Amino acid sequence: MQYYLSVLTIGGINVILILGLTLLTSYTGLFSMGNVGFMMVGAYCSAALNVEFGVPFIPSLLISGVISMLLGLLIGWPTVRRKLKGDHFAVALLGFASAIKVLICNIEIGDFDGAMGIKNVPKLTNWYVVLIVGAVITFLLWNFVHSAYGRNCRAVREQEVAAQTMGINVSRTKLLSLLINAFTTAIGGGLFAFYTTIVVPTMFTQNQSSNHLIAVVFGGINSITGPVLSSFVLAILPELLRVISTWRLVIYGVLIVVIMLVKPEGLLGYKELNFRWVKPALAKARALLKKNKLPGNDGGKA
Amino acid sequence: MEEKKIILETRKLTVRFGGLTAVNSVSMSVPEGSITGIIGPNGAGKTTLFNMITAAVEPSSGQVIYNGASILGLGPDEIARIGISRTFQNIRVCSRMTALENVIISIQRVPPYSVFAAMLGLPSVKRKDREAREQALGYLKMLGIGSYANSLASEMPYGQQRRLEIARAIATRPKLLLLDEPAAGMNNEECRELTGLIRELREKLDLTVVLIEHHMEVVMRLCDNIYVLNLGSLLREGKPSQIQSDAEVIKAYLGEKRRRN
Repeated sequence: MQYYLSVLTIGGINVILILGLTLLTSYTGLFSMGNVGFMMVGAYCSAALNVEFGVPFIPSLLISGVISMLLGLLIGWPTVRRKLKGDHFAVALLGFASAIKVLICNIEIGDFDGAMGIKNVPKLTNWYVVLIVGAVITFLLWNFVHSAYGRNCRAVREQEVAAQTMGINVSRTKLLSLLINAFTTAIGGGLFAFYTTIVVPTMFTQNQSSNHLIAVVFGGINSITGPVLSSFVLAILPELLRVISTWRLVIYGVLIVVIMLVKPEGLLGYKELNFRWVKPALAKARALLKKNKLPGNDGGKA
Repeated sequence: MEEKKIILETRKLTVRFGGLTAVNSVSMSVPEGSITGIIGPNGAGKTTLFNMITAAVEPSSGQVIYNGASILGLGPDEIARIGISRTFQNIRVCSRMTALENVIISIQRVPPYSVFAAMLGLPSVKRKDREAREQALGYLKMLGIGSYANSLASEMPYGQQRRLEIARAIATRPKLLLLDEPAAGMNNEECRELTGLIRELREKLDLTVVLIEHHMEVVMRLCDNIYVLNLGSLLREGKPSQIQSDAEVIKAYLGEKRRRN
């Protein structure tokens, strides 16, 4: 039982880590290869605040979120104002993440050494914390995405020039998405820190940024449930595929390539997961069974 | 006849792209409430002229004056917010959004509620969204595409997408509407419909219209005033009857593109 709960927790943390990225990349169309930068800021800040300054769990998460937003503003303002997009924006964010890592590794204030990391972080993250935080963030983002702000993000993604010509402040829209991404990813980083109980630079790799991006693209554009599902599955897949552990990465890679070939708009594409397909599917099944009345059968499923 | 107020004026507007002078010292003035046409061969600089008015392109020299004030230096979104809207030659609707959403964008380009209110899904947010949806539906119906409200823009026939483009542009509640080849690809029947539609929009919404067009029936029937551009420079300016019979214009443009009526 404990094992399954911990798998659930890890999966949940992963979902929280990519929710902001879904907004930035899926909805606003800005590919970020630097998500791990915000995660690292969240992890280090919340851990430091808690261990060094005794800031309680939730406040330390929130404060680290704000700090992450400020850093997001620092990288966001020039990149967005200079109209960086596509590959350029992705690389700029990649640079940002690298810069954050270097910065943290080289901080030595008092007896805090970034490279040595932070130990003895209390294990305060468990499955229900993750569930609650995840649900709250999903709720807030869902509303955001279905509001005028979300529509403006999509307009910027679809037709940036036309959107601007109709009066949308494109810079502000992009910046808002980036800041929300910074905040929620930092929260995810914080939850991660309070789960692994230690925070060291080697835990934050460029690979993770790629994994986050893959989960988002895999899950589908214009969808929140898509990336939620896919990131959860992709996070726990290594555990599930443990039995074929030597082939794990191969299967992982093949899955991604297949999805990109077969359904490039992502697993769920533009749709949200819902159960509206159940009724018509059942009706169809009933009709089919009625048609093929077999002898001895009273016709139709009960 | 009383002097009509000039809503838009360009003074010696020029833009150079490297060695090419795309628009050469073009001066024009558009009276409020009028329908002005801009015609000329392809490559004459017509769309570039529009682009300079909407700040998509920065002029090399000259002025653009709107309601008596210079609008050079304003960003495209600011220009939209002071009442200038446009359609694009190659339509730029948001394909992966519904027709309704495409129009709502123009209405809620500055969201009427805070980010926090939006995230919490407050009733006021829902109410404002509902109002915007109703307004948007109104604009779609005005353009005769109300039935496509919940269809993705990419699923709409080309002609209806053109109408969507116009609906989106008028939903910004402009005082000046720039139409870039609205009749492109239309047959005579559709052109007649469009002519009626533009006149109707001008009346209903109290607009001033400037349009770039190649279909001469549309231009001659609609426009109060016509400017003829050729190779970036202003060739002629005048009333439709004058332009139609002008030798220079016929030589440069009309003569080559005789449409069978």
